[in-house]
Amino acid sequence: MPRPFAQLAVVSLAICCGIPLPALSSPPRTDVLMETMQREIQRATASLAKSDPAPYFLSYTANDAEGITIAGANGSIVVSSAFHRRGADVVMRVGAATLDNTHNQSRPSGIVSGALPLQDNMDAIARVLWQLTNQEYDQASAAFLRVKTNQAVQSEEEDKSPDFSQEAPQKRVEESTLKMSFDQNAWANEIRRLSAGFMKHRDVYESIVYLQAGSNRSYLASSEGTALEQPSSMSRLMIEGQTRADDGMELLRVETFQASSPDQLPSEAELSAKVQKISADLTALRAAPAAEPYVGPAMLSGRSAAVFFHEVLGHRLEGHRQRDEREGQTFTKKINQQVLPAFLTVVDDPTLKELNGVKLAGTYDFDDEGVPAARVPAVENGILKNFLTSRMPIKGFSQSNGHGRKQAGLMPTGRQGNLIVTSTNTVKDAELRQRFIEEIKKQDKPYGLYFEDIQGGFTLTTRAQPQAFQVIPVMVWRVYADGRPDELVRGVDIVGTPLASLNNIMLTGDTLQVFNGICGAESGQVPVSAAAPAMLFSEIEVQKRGKGTQRPPLLPPPGFENQTASNASTLHAKP
Amino acid sequence: MNRIGKSLPCAAIALAAIVPLIGASPARAQQPPAKTSAPSTNTTAVSDPLLRAMREELDRSKAQLKMESVPSPYYIEYRLSDVDEYQADAVFGALRRSDRSHARSVRVTVRVGDYKQDSYYGPGVGVVNLAPIDDNPTALRWQLWSASDQAYKAASAALAAKKAALLQFTADQPFDDFARAAAVQSVGPLAKLDFDPKQWEETLEKSTALYHNDPKIESLGALVRFRAVNQYFVNSEGTVTRRGYTVYLLTLGASTQAADGMQLDRSPYYAAATAKELPTVDEVMTDTTTMIATLQKLREAPVVNEDYRGPVLFSPDAANDIFYGMIGRNVLGIRPKPGESARTAGEFSSNYKGRVLPSFLSVDDDPTLLTFGGKTLLGSYATDDEGVQAEKVSLIEGGELVNYLLGREPIRDFPESNGHGRAGPGQLTSPNIGNLLVKSKQTLTSDALKQKLLDLCKQQGLEYGYFVDTLGGTDYSPRLLYRVYSKDGHQELVRGAEFNELDTRALRNDVVAVGDDPQVGNRDGSVPMTVISPSILFDDLEVKRTDEKNAKLPEYPAPDVAVAR
Repeated sequence: MPRPFAQLAVVSLAICCGIPLPALSSPPRTDVLMETMQREIQRATASLAKSDPAPYFLSYTANDAEGITIAGANGSIVVSSAFHRRGADVVMRVGAATLDNTHNQSRPSGIVSGALPLQDNMDAIARVLWQLTNQEYDQASAAFLRVKTNQAVQSEEEDKSPDFSQEAPQKRVEESTLKMSFDQNAWANEIRRLSAGFMKHRDVYESIVYLQAGSNRSYLASSEGTALEQPSSMSRLMIEGQTRADDGMELLRVETFQASSPDQLPSEAELSAKVQKISADLTALRAAPAAEPYVGPAMLSGRSAAVFFHEVLGHRLEGHRQRDEREGQTFTKKINQQVLPAFLTVVDDPTLKELNGVKLAGTYDFDDEGVPAARVPAVENGILKNFLTSRMPIKGFSQSNGHGRKQAGLMPTGRQGNLIVTSTNTVKDAELRQRFIEEIKKQDKPYGLYFEDIQGGFTLTTRAQPQAFQVIPVMVWRVYADGRPDELVRGVDIVGTPLASLNNIMLTGDTLQVFNGICGAESGQVPVSAAAPAMLFSEIEVQKRGKGTQRPPLLPPPGFENQTASNASTLHAKP
Repeated sequence: MNRIGKSLPCAAIALAAIVPLIGASPARAQQPPAKTSAPSTNTTAVSDPLLRAMREELDRSKAQLKMESVPSPYYIEYRLSDVDEYQADAVFGALRRSDRSHARSVRVTVRVGDYKQDSYYGPGVGVVNLAPIDDNPTALRWQLWSASDQAYKAASAALAAKKAALLQFTADQPFDDFARAAAVQSVGPLAKLDFDPKQWEETLEKSTALYHNDPKIESLGALVRFRAVNQYFVNSEGTVTRRGYTVYLLTLGASTQAADGMQLDRSPYYAAATAKELPTVDEVMTDTTTMIATLQKLREAPVVNEDYRGPVLFSPDAANDIFYGMIGRNVLGIRPKPGESARTAGEFSSNYKGRVLPSFLSVDDDPTLLTFGGKTLLGSYATDDEGVQAEKVSLIEGGELVNYLLGREPIRDFPESNGHGRAGPGQLTSPNIGNLLVKSKQTLTSDALKQKLLDLCKQQGLEYGYFVDTLGGTDYSPRLLYRVYSKDGHQELVRGAEFNELDTRALRNDVVAVGDDPQVGNRDGSVPMTVISPSILFDDLEVKRTDEKNAKLPEYPAPDVAVAR
């Protein structure tokens, strides 16, 4: 059986098409893999032209990815593995652009995947591509028959757009390679030392320090003549600690750092300080009171506001959701209408590489369908202008704007890259807090909530479920109107419906903060960024988070046996 | 649902790292004389730092884990599995992967209650955690501490749930939940992989390049998976064991289609205790060439269109699959679900003291047997994965079922383990075979056996009988099946057949002779095991055309092979 951690790594690398290098202008060279892909596409296209139904589009994507994964806990290495794989995706469309095998729910019929030989063995690569293409043809042609049958028996669709947009073929070969230089032993030792930092804190029950570093060369060739070869590299270091409050609530703190290579990650001193910060946060969270349901003024830090916009607005701007009749289509018919306060503008810009000195995770030159990335002004001064589109046309938007993204093995859909929220109604960040306190007083509330950090969130966009979103805040403070010190609370969830909450934004800070993360949706996991200024909401609704019932560990961790510390003894007395 | 999150939760990582261990199937028990001593609590004899750390944390958990209104654990065990694994695979002459991984997991089982009735049920069957791959006792104890805490809490919930579930049933369980067992101390040598990766990469590439020989071969691949597994075990009864084994697995695979679209596959399989016992490069080349040649013959072979009922002869290799599936899996003393009155969960649940094979056949399982006919047996071990001394068990005597293979979970009339509680890394223990040995009071040479096949055909007025060379898959469908003509004994390869009612009843009633050619079948399952069996002759079996539909032929031809490469 395959080894899942290697797979895990392949997946995350394959999707990290960001951080491209500037194209070097050197004479074109022939790469065996690219050449074989192109030759086999030609052969398949010519041979299958005689079949019924015949394909009208065929593309091959290959990702040559290598890297390592090292994880440590409690001063020791728990995972250490290296991998090198070449994965291939074969995408085929049979029928015609107006109606093909990928129509509606039949979209997965457009793709099959497999592993390619690691070396440039032309015969072997060609054979594997041939096998996959045959397999894909069987799947696509059967699906096309079903699609035609369904068309005949089902009621007319509201959006009669074709299934595939016309786009100009793209050619670019980036000669440079991004071979990682990596001292595995040095990193293992650093991870041992970092992870040992958690052992000073008896309240941190589980912890892990996790490094994934790798490089990828992606190849895309299509029957339309697209030929793209792009190198990329990505390193991600994650530090995670966990504890449990006496009432059983699980508490989690995570910090991730991203860079194009491991040597650009923060220094050990900085990371070590982060371990201590996470431990201190967890200790404080354990002791903090559990939040109560609340409706009232709230302030979100820039990072928190960024996640909020990614979930609440960003996912609803994804093109395919405007067409899928199971979707809630919050914004589908709101083009040129006010959807946000007039002082807010939202763009998604994968071409932006850095913001305020922070490298953006959602940056790329070409999307996964080979369409050049484009800056999309989605909401201008509060007015909805555009969606994030792949090559799936939607009513009024017949072209891709370079947002067709996916994880290896899945069909692309419209996805976010770097979602950036800007404001014209700003005050200095320090003043925003003052205005927040004034609002609390004005509404005659004892306190407001300040969301310092948000772990992530999810949103439901389909019709079958309520149009709700939820983000998972981890560091939330009560800010008192009477000037008492802020008080940390735990177990807060923001709830609400999208349109209502977005229009409660009153005012923003003046500095954009970046949240880099991994976003999962129908087309898999892709790296994304979201950036926003801090925001003042006149009203936000929070609920108590569901919690576990398991109490904290009965015995102190090894090394703490002889300490008669705070909670070990009290715990024994609790039922 | 869409998610943004910057984390891979701990659980995901743990799962990712543990799954390979769980899926990993061990293989051969290199069980050189382990130091085994009588029950003793002397743990200072244990110099292994991992065993010592396990012992220390186990003692602390046993002495101190306690919640109000929940009894202390009466039994705790820790099993640490260290797996060093190499995998490589190639297709069409080119390598697709070649890499090595090393991982450790711990499985912690805490039982509350007593031997008569305890918490081993639902969530109470143990907790798996990652373990450090460094020999770092503190880090290991930290993981054990966390898993022990969770396992104790889960056990208390499980005992309550079990008692509630058992209220539905009136019958009193006439056997204990957990068998008592003597404490064992046995620290065996550590197992290590010993092979040359370069040589295997070349072997895989060279052999799979042979697709050049036949343009109609649609796929040709080969893979190796080599594993060294070291299992460290301690329990609160004073048992301390360490046991290592290595498994070297090679599989080849090829497929083609006949002109009518029928899918034809071959997948030769080799499992051995040492790399030296795998085929050499030349042998792999020969076997691959033969595999391709037989596929070519299969393409041209006639389809079985007429129903047949009569004698069928199984080669030792084909018989091995039959004995593994029909005897090996049914002699396991696996307890049925609570409330069910059957003795075991297998097909032989009501056959105790009854006939399950012809009276001239007997079957043993003997993990203490190290070799047979010069081959190292994968199913050998000195102590099982519950720390119980391995025992030779006589299962079937003169055709009659006289015993089951047991771990520490008793079944009706069998209160004790006979050293067959086995588990792959990170997995639950369950009774399993070690070295299953089929013996016969009367045997025939392979010529005499073939003659007997022809004689039976003649007696029954049949033009031909069948000879099964190889079975495929788990449903006993033949891969290589020959008609043997009664008039002159010549063989004809056929395709597209399957057996009807090839089951334990047929094995009990219709086997009329066995060969003198017992063959070692090493198997790389969830645990490594071996079945040793001779060829067998059924006098009355049905062969019919398979129900499987033919596939489509490739929509377009395979690419040409570049010449002079």
